[in-house]
Amino acid sequence: MTGPYGDAPPDEYLEAEIQSMLAEDPSVAEQGITVVRRERGLVIYGEVESPHRREEILRRVAERFPDVPVTSDIGVIRTQAPSQVEELP
Amino acid sequence: MVIRIAAVGDVHLDEDVVGRFRPALEELPDCADVLLLAGDLTRHGTEAEARCVAQEFGNLGVPVITVLGNHDHQCDQVPQVVKVLEDVGITVLEGTGIVLDCAGGRLGVAGVKGFGGGFAGRCASDFGEPEMKAFVRTTRESADALAAALLGLDCDRLVALTHYSPVPDTLAGEPLEIYPFLGCYQLGQAIDSAPTALALHGHAHHGSERGTTPGGVRVRNVAHPVIKQAYSIFHLGDQPD
Repeated sequence: MTGPYGDAPPDEYLEAEIQSMLAEDPSVAEQGITVVRRERGLVIYGEVESPHRREEILRRVAERFPDVPVTSDIGVIRTQAPSQVEELP
Repeated sequence: MVIRIAAVGDVHLDEDVVGRFRPALEELPDCADVLLLAGDLTRHGTEAEARCVAQEFGNLGVPVITVLGNHDHQCDQVPQVVKVLEDVGITVLEGTGIVLDCAGGRLGVAGVKGFGGGFAGRCASDFGEPEMKAFVRTTRESADALAAALLGLDCDRLVALTHYSPVPDTLAGEPLEIYPFLGCYQLGQAIDSAPTALALHGHAHHGSERGTTPGGVRVRNVAHPVIKQAYSIFHLGDQPD
């Protein structure tokens, strides 16, 4: 593995950098995505409003951190009508 | 008699989301008297994104009332965003309130975006650097505006609508370290200062649905990633004697 992070596993600063990018990059602007360090790389999880946004997150992370192994577990939030009502007497 | 309230927050609309909520929204006139939106309607708060919100949430056949969220402030286009929403009949609250005549009674809704600050015993103080004092004063001013709006409404049932959370209960699931960025106890204090029946908020995507204020007011986090459906529906019953 080459690149700015060499062979070392992802560290805390890298995690912080990716988290900041997800919030501040105008093409992402997601604050509800979580980045977790695992032994073999990063896991990015959370939920977004469209498949396009999920792809954009992974594209931007891969573009900026090409040598970091990333596993994605990002879901798209369902938008069905509710099947139940909450009664509040 | 029952007042039927539909609510969702954090829908973060842009062109790629337009149309996703609409099929469920078309059912609203049959199941709700009003739709409340708990802020973060857009991704960056641009006028173009607000037009997407207007397209998706305008002309629904029920009144739509909203507060803005932090995302809706990102591009400093709040006046334009508000105008686009108001042009399609969406009521935007910020330290203000409205009373609706529903079949089940007069529903009062008071709203503010709110702000962070943290919760009792673990919060920021109005002390030290100008930046910190400005932060906490923003929190207080927002809570004071909510209290005044709630107390100014003459209605049968009263609902508080915010983006930031008034209690820590509905943040369960979020990292404890970021609670001060997700809400503040002053909003809860404002809600408890009035005969509020229900408080709705968003902002905490990893939070949980249910909580109560120290005064016993029911709080619901209706952020879309939390409720995982187009909106939730609450039936507010008669006020207990």
